[in-house]
Amino acid sequence: MSSESPQTPSYDPAAHYDHITAAWALLLGEELHYGVFDHADDPLDVATRALTGRMVAAAHLDEAPSGTRVLDVGCGSGAPAVAMATAHGVDVVGITTSGVGVETARKRAASLGLDGVTFEQRDGMDNGFPDASFDVAWALESAHLMRDRPALLSEMARVLRPGGRLVLCDLLRFREIPFREVRERRVDFATLRAAFGDAHFESLDYYVEAVRGLGLEVEVADDLTQATLPTFDRWRANAELHHDAVVDLIGVEGHAAFVGSCDILEAFWRDGTFGYGIVGARRPA
Amino acid sequence: MTTSPADVERTVTDFLTRIEKLPEGFGDSTPLYADGAELDSLETAELSATLEDVHGSDPYSSGEMPQTLGEIQAFYAALPA
Repeated sequence: MSSESPQTPSYDPAAHYDHITAAWALLLGEELHYGVFDHADDPLDVATRALTGRMVAAAHLDEAPSGTRVLDVGCGSGAPAVAMATAHGVDVVGITTSGVGVETARKRAASLGLDGVTFEQRDGMDNGFPDASFDVAWALESAHLMRDRPALLSEMARVLRPGGRLVLCDLLRFREIPFREVRERRVDFATLRAAFGDAHFESLDYYVEAVRGLGLEVEVADDLTQATLPTFDRWRANAELHHDAVVDLIGVEGHAAFVGSCDILEAFWRDGTFGYGIVGARRPA
Repeated sequence: MTTSPADVERTVTDFLTRIEKLPEGFGDSTPLYADGAELDSLETAELSATLEDVHGSDPYSSGEMPQTLGEIQAFYAALPA
């Protein structure tokens, strides 16, 4: 699946994103995330914009005054950051540990001549920005790749100004998976790891309680599992449509791992093991 | 391969080396999880399966959750001859 030796695969998020960014643009679409399907026949790009729209609404960006600063934690290839800046006139700082992600995102912003959108290679679990320096801390589907979730949330809360908002959407875990099941299904879990990196999911309740514990007021906590379910059909269709190009980028094994992962995840979505959700919370003024 | 402490150590260190999680100075009292080799649940499941493949049984499948290489070696040492 890669130029790396199969004996020494890297599931580190930065290395993983460096490796898959180009292929995922073909497989997942330009925004590199799930979609929220208001209608079963919505195209993927409509659905991914709908998910971004949920985040925009939770962040109250539609009413953001000029000069609003947004920190996009785990900014991927920069598409949501660029979309936010374009549609809402906000200043966005996107951070990711992936050098390829930063480079891709910078090119995207430059090609549009956008001011006020910058991208930096930083770690969301220790972002290094001053306290109270952003109006919105935004994490779109990046939390599951950050091993120290308390540090991620604490850092997002720390940089919020009074009245600022934390918004996060991500994959969720709805039940504990006993060790015996992990062992029995280790091939499935290893396939997911090969395709999506070293991911770990939390429950919606975990995120709600965690941000409350940081002194934030929870405004949104929605389960989007059913609304995101058609995503897997669209990803499989993209894998078929772009088969040759994806194989050129991540190899036959990478392509197969991705398609297999769609099947595995869809089954987990349907049996109530995994799903998707969004949380929005506000720092009291 | 036998279940001697040396053979079990080789299985565990080979596994940790393969997944790039062999801590410096790894020994029979080094934690396998937090503050040690940092194995997560999937990696632990893979170690369990590797031990079974190589040595015919493994402590995890017997309901144990060994914390160190030494505890894995102790499991095999306690097996009937």
